[in-house]
Amino acid sequence: MSATETGASAATTAGTDWSRTGLIWILRIVVLLGVGLAWEIAARSGVLPAAFIGQPSIFLVKLWTMFTGGSIVAPIVDTLSATGLAFCIGGVLALLSALLLTVFPLAREVLQPFIDALNALPRVALVPLFIVWFGLGLTSKVVSGVSLMYFILLYNTLAGARSVDPDHRALARSLGLDGRRIFTQIVVPTAIPAIFAGLKLGLVYTLLGVVTAELIAGGKGLGSLVSYYSNTYDANGVFAVLVVLIIVSFALSSFMARLENHLMRWNQN
Amino acid sequence: MTASGSPQDRSIRVADLSHSYGSGPDRLLILDNISLASEGGEFIALIGPSGCGKTTLLDILCGIRAFQTGSVTLRSLPPREGREDTSRMFARDALLPWRTAASNIEFALAARRRDVDRKGIIDKLLRDVGLEGFGDKYPSQLSQGMRQRVALARTFSLESDFLFLDEPFGALDAQTKLLLQEKLLALWEKTRSTVVLVTHDLGEAIALADRVIVMTARPGRILADVRIDLPRPRSVSALQKTREYHDLYAELWDKLEQATSGAAGNNRENGA
Repeated sequence: MSATETGASAATTAGTDWSRTGLIWILRIVVLLGVGLAWEIAARSGVLPAAFIGQPSIFLVKLWTMFTGGSIVAPIVDTLSATGLAFCIGGVLALLSALLLTVFPLAREVLQPFIDALNALPRVALVPLFIVWFGLGLTSKVVSGVSLMYFILLYNTLAGARSVDPDHRALARSLGLDGRRIFTQIVVPTAIPAIFAGLKLGLVYTLLGVVTAELIAGGKGLGSLVSYYSNTYDANGVFAVLVVLIIVSFALSSFMARLENHLMRWNQN
Repeated sequence: MTASGSPQDRSIRVADLSHSYGSGPDRLLILDNISLASEGGEFIALIGPSGCGKTTLLDILCGIRAFQTGSVTLRSLPPREGREDTSRMFARDALLPWRTAASNIEFALAARRRDVDRKGIIDKLLRDVGLEGFGDKYPSQLSQGMRQRVALARTFSLESDFLFLDEPFGALDAQTKLLLQEKLLALWEKTRSTVVLVTHDLGEAIALADRVIVMTARPGRILADVRIDLPRPRSVSALQKTREYHDLYAELWDKLEQATSGAAGNNRENGA
């Protein structure tokens, strides 16, 4: 038995260098504080007009009162529920479409140019139409989110399903598996990482679609709030809500990343 | 083990097999009148220069590729992909990365042998290939050599009468290769299935096989069919120190050189 070979088990992920990680975090905070400070100084000294660019010390306080006073909770819930709904609907539709297009290659060949054309269309430009069609409420926001989510996940899933290792297919065929079992046992698992990448990216873009609809249509969500503050020339209000949006978007993607890490332990080197 | 037909029959018969790719003026003769017979239970190695058609021949035996003229039978039946009494091992491990080592073996068992004690078979095979305790590791957690050992275990888990090995150790370093060859021999000694091994490695062919078939450069013909009468069970590493091994190596090396040099003259005139 060769000792060289058995020793090669790849348990190297634990080798993270903690002092380096710490340094990176410290430098990140320095960068953030530096930018904030420069911004603050520019606004206070009047180098740049504070009314237009806002002032970190003011919008951070505003942000704080939004949370402590609870006024931000309803908009967050509103935007998140529309995002969640759009994410689920768009996700299910995309997976079903990908399934059909993979199982019926003829359908894919026929429809591919149409799908490409729809995907090339800037969906955000359709939002005003969605509002005309579906009104100012939840539906148009959800449709806007779905229109982004659907194509992102569809493309990722189709690409994933096509990336089957020829050796895996050959193995399955040599074992006598039929087409259905090759699909469920080889094609689907192969596509899972790409599907996850699509879900991760899609979630952030769904939020974008929902917020865009809110910006235009108004209502109660975070996008409507941004629109309100910018229409009243309250730059600090805009930035306060943008910080909330960054936090929400960040929380959503790290949730997905955690889920992915958990479900795809095999995919880590 | 297989209950169909006559279970002892592990014969391979290839008669006047010819195959070419393309058509018209681009037609390229790959295999030229190959005949080969084995009563079974034999370890056959196919060796020859690149492009000699040995992989095509293996693909035909596996039933992946249809052939044009001649006849090919395994146990008097034509080859067919997915035949229950055959299994195939690939140059790369072809392990499914989302399944653990044990679960990769189970994948093969579930496809073919439902009514057996799968866990017992898997544990035993993992022990046989020296991977006891690694059953719950994913391929990404294993070295290349360990992955190929799992693939070896998977191949033998089927207890097939016909094994087709397509350069299974081609991607491994010399030391790991030696280890894997020993494991392969140990597993095969117990089953004595009919093996067709395609390899580039002359030493491997001699150490493992009962017969080494040397093919010429394109179009592939059988240049020599050399019986390797080294006693079994063999140890690959011990064998490499013996005189017989080196004599056979020299003899086959001459033939292989002949096969390769024939290429220059043959290459252009194969449209005929």
